[in-house]
Amino acid sequence: MRDKKELSELLHLFLDIGEGIHRAGGEIFRVEDTLSRLGAAYGADRTDVFAITSHLEVTMTFGDIELTRTRRIHGGGTDFRRLEAYNDLSRRVCAAPLSPAELRRAIEETRGVGSRLPIYIGSALAGGSFAVFFGGGLLDGVAAALIGLLVCLMQEKLPAISQSGVVVSFIAALCTGFCACLLSLIIPILMPDKIMIGDIMLLIPGIALTTAIRNILIGDTVSGILRFTESLVHAAALAGGFMIAMSLLGVQ
Amino acid sequence: MEYVIQLLSGALGSVGFALIFRLRACLLPLAALGGLLNWGIYLLLFHLTGNLFLSAILASAATAVYAELLARRLRAPTTLFLVPAVIPSIPGSNLYYTMRGAVTGNFDAVAENALLTLEWAFAIAGGISIVTVVFSVIKGIRKKRVNSKENLSK
Repeated sequence: MRDKKELSELLHLFLDIGEGIHRAGGEIFRVEDTLSRLGAAYGADRTDVFAITSHLEVTMTFGDIELTRTRRIHGGGTDFRRLEAYNDLSRRVCAAPLSPAELRRAIEETRGVGSRLPIYIGSALAGGSFAVFFGGGLLDGVAAALIGLLVCLMQEKLPAISQSGVVVSFIAALCTGFCACLLSLIIPILMPDKIMIGDIMLLIPGIALTTAIRNILIGDTVSGILRFTESLVHAAALAGGFMIAMSLLGVQ
Repeated sequence: MEYVIQLLSGALGSVGFALIFRLRACLLPLAALGGLLNWGIYLLLFHLTGNLFLSAILASAATAVYAELLARRLRAPTTLFLVPAVIPSIPGSNLYYTMRGAVTGNFDAVAENALLTLEWAFAIAGGISIVTVVFSVIKGIRKKRVNSKENLSK
């Protein structure tokens, strides 16, 4: 029988895994499902997990020991490599439980930060492609790709200035709008609207909005409503940023 | 020709987002295929029916089936294949024209494009959710069957 201290450490590590999955873009039901399985794998008589987008709460019962821990979750994005790492880890651990020390080491291994180069390439590629997708010419695509690099740079650096995602979106939209309008004033054959649409795809909370509605439809109502509201506020901040840039430079 | 450009740039856009989300390099072709499938089915259905919501919801459902099957096959989370593949459906242009309408004071354009943005979002989410539910029900039935077989053999 494990003592209370060891169980408490274990639960802490479970919360790390849950938080990790969520911050890497895992769905709410995946977080709850994984933690319940982990609890069962380690011999808990009962595991109750409650997760919403900003909060994680787990109660585990081992014999007459009952432990509850909560975790506030800030931010998060989408990182498939990390999501896969957590997924593999929890699958492995459910098959053959590790000791808390080993589990801690395994979790630390999943946290390695990779190079940001693919993200820059991806931003340029996505921004450029969608400028063409929504009816721009090849030149518009190139311009949107260049501004896409700038968007990526801002998404990397701005969070250091402000914790709030809304502020980051607003500043990024303002700068993107300025660049697109300026470029099209200098090179008149460019279509500023197509360039901006391409780069909006990088900033738009489209995935968040879709995820929010999916959450509501499959029963994770609270998470869904939180996300829905967040993404509407985000969209408004984006719109504000672009609108200010467009009206100041007189581009319509 | 316009369709070909859309399909190619849509698929490239999916790859771009897969890169942003740090998908493993060997899975990138599957992201491109997903994006192609998503937009191809939408274009085809819209061409046949002329009904935006119906075409969008069926296209996203088909994409979700593609993602679920790949996820089962490769033993990886469904999100990996689903999110990049639905990217071409995200209504970036409608959102933009909503804003532009607001800047120029054209409130008919605002109302029309805001509604279209929401319509797309609901269609994508609806299509995916239907497939999620169907797959989880199938999983539940299979599990039940396995359990009852085990009980019988005892």
